[in-house]
Amino acid sequence: MPDDGMFCYEAGGAFLETRGLTKTYQVGRETVHALTDVDFAAQQGDFSVLNGPSGSGKTTFLNLISAIDRPTRGEVLIAGISTGTQTDAQLAALRRTTIGLVFQTFNLIPVLSAAENVEYPLLLQRLPRPERKLRVSTMLEEVGLGELARRRPNELSGGQRQRVAIARALVSQPRMVLADEPTANLDSETGRQVMELTRRLNEEHCVVFIVVTHDPAVAAYAKRRIGIRDGRLIEGMGDERPTAAS
Amino acid sequence: MSVLLPLRSLLRNRRRSLLSLAIVGLGSAIAVFVLGYVQESRALIRQTSVDEYGNLQIAAPSLWDGDAEGYEYLIPPQTLVRIEDRLAADPRVVASTAQLQFPGLLAAGDQTQVVRVTGIVPGNPALPGPQEVSVGRGLDPGDNAAVLMGQALADRLGVSAGSVVTLTLTTVDGAYNASPLEIVGVFRFASEQVELQTLFLPLRYAQALLNTAGVDRMVLTLDRVSATWATRARLQATLDADALLLEARTWDELSPFYQQLSNLFDILFGFIALATAVLVFFIILQVLTLSFLERTREVGTVRALGVTRGGVFSMLLAEGGWLAVIGSAAGVGVGVLLSLVFNAVGIEWTPPGTVEPVTLAVSIGLSTALAPFLLGAAAAFLSAVLPASRMSRLTVVDALRVE
Repeated sequence: MPDDGMFCYEAGGAFLETRGLTKTYQVGRETVHALTDVDFAAQQGDFSVLNGPSGSGKTTFLNLISAIDRPTRGEVLIAGISTGTQTDAQLAALRRTTIGLVFQTFNLIPVLSAAENVEYPLLLQRLPRPERKLRVSTMLEEVGLGELARRRPNELSGGQRQRVAIARALVSQPRMVLADEPTANLDSETGRQVMELTRRLNEEHCVVFIVVTHDPAVAAYAKRRIGIRDGRLIEGMGDERPTAAS
Repeated sequence: MSVLLPLRSLLRNRRRSLLSLAIVGLGSAIAVFVLGYVQESRALIRQTSVDEYGNLQIAAPSLWDGDAEGYEYLIPPQTLVRIEDRLAADPRVVASTAQLQFPGLLAAGDQTQVVRVTGIVPGNPALPGPQEVSVGRGLDPGDNAAVLMGQALADRLGVSAGSVVTLTLTTVDGAYNASPLEIVGVFRFASEQVELQTLFLPLRYAQALLNTAGVDRMVLTLDRVSATWATRARLQATLDADALLLEARTWDELSPFYQQLSNLFDILFGFIALATAVLVFFIILQVLTLSFLERTREVGTVRALGVTRGGVFSMLLAEGGWLAVIGSAAGVGVGVLLSLVFNAVGIEWTPPGTVEPVTLAVSIGLSTALAPFLLGAAAAFLSAVLPASRMSRLTVVDALRVE
């Protein structure tokens, strides 16, 4: 993770790119088109919000660009790597090293403490223990949870859990963070704190953020707004919404 | 954390985990107890057999195989001397004695009984011989027409020490012979059959009655039972090298009772072990399947974070491994404790065919703990394979979709 913004707009191609991305599901005899011919590109340092009604294809899009699902047609390129050519194990390695995920429902591991949850991705990367400990404590301090490191998820509030989830997504220094409704379970003040943190990390660390949200307050933080309707992306949709106070 | 996470996951639902551990533990505890009982019983029967047959016997194969013509299997005195020379040189043989066995008809008043007469060398420390003289005395080297008989036989004939009985037999030449014998003592033995059928005479008098200078076997006592088979191999090589046409057989080969009972014990333990393992396997399979299914979303999460299918499989299998190790170790502990309590209580019973009650006991040791531990652990561990494999094959998206 770069320490400043100087690498945010590197020369060269997009960090994330989709070409003709299509995903269909078979429901009985009916074919459901979740995504249709989606072309999308995000540069290093981008902060995009994605919104759209329920069933519009937001989660499908997020799943495909986070390499946890495979497209029916088209391709996803992450850091120049086409996910369609990768094995399951290679995709797992790509997720481990390149992508940070923030789930709507936090998805913390309940038997691990906050610190252990944050440490988990580093264990997968087989980093040495001293480096893991340093990174975890730094990241928890950064999200304001240094004092609560030993608490289990069920001992944390919704906002604190979401901050742990964000710390977990960022601790492995991913180049892209994908967040699905990161503030949906938070009160407005906690949601604002989380988004401030997100914006700071985006600006300071040049991390690509793609955030799915229905929340106008969240959308206001984005540098770029994208709508999604019936499986198609609509660039700039929602620009009329108010910008957030910085 | 690769160790910690499965362990904590195992303990997250305490009630279910305790139930699982209890099931694995119960299986191992049952196996410890049953195996301990089987081993103790086998040891008891082994000792009885060694007491009856000695560790080894040397004789012509036709003596045991029942295909001899008359007394052709008898070992002549000059051969006996050569055997004794060889035995004296063997470091494991602590005592040996010649014996002569033949059938006879024993009469006391109007009571008769077919008996197996055994001529022994009085005072020779090598067994077999009467184990416990309950009335009168044992045979002395100076005895001649004296006899020692089992308690059951004495009771059947209505005689005791000091009584005179008459033994009728056929000599090696096929002639009838009969002799009055004075009962000098009555002995007890673990086996009622032995008590009822066995009669001990001084060897010289037995030879005189049978009209032979030969004996039918040499009975050997070794310094330890475990040396039996190696000693047999060594002695057999010596006998073959001397072209004596004799065979050395071990106590377990000579005791059909031991072989049958040993096989029965193997089948009994095998059946109980298998039934227990199968039961543990299927119950734990159900418990782990449920437990893993409840964590489908968590599996999806760790897969999304970059854990491979193999990693998920290993993680869940490790959970089964913890369950297996903790449950089985605890079960072995409980089994040992139960065995100690059982041994301390000292329950007695008289097995069929025996005259004295025996105290039921359960053997406790590494050999009775290791197999049950491995059995319980293997059953529990293997039960994790199928659900772990099933969970690892889920797609990330499907796993994350589960509420």
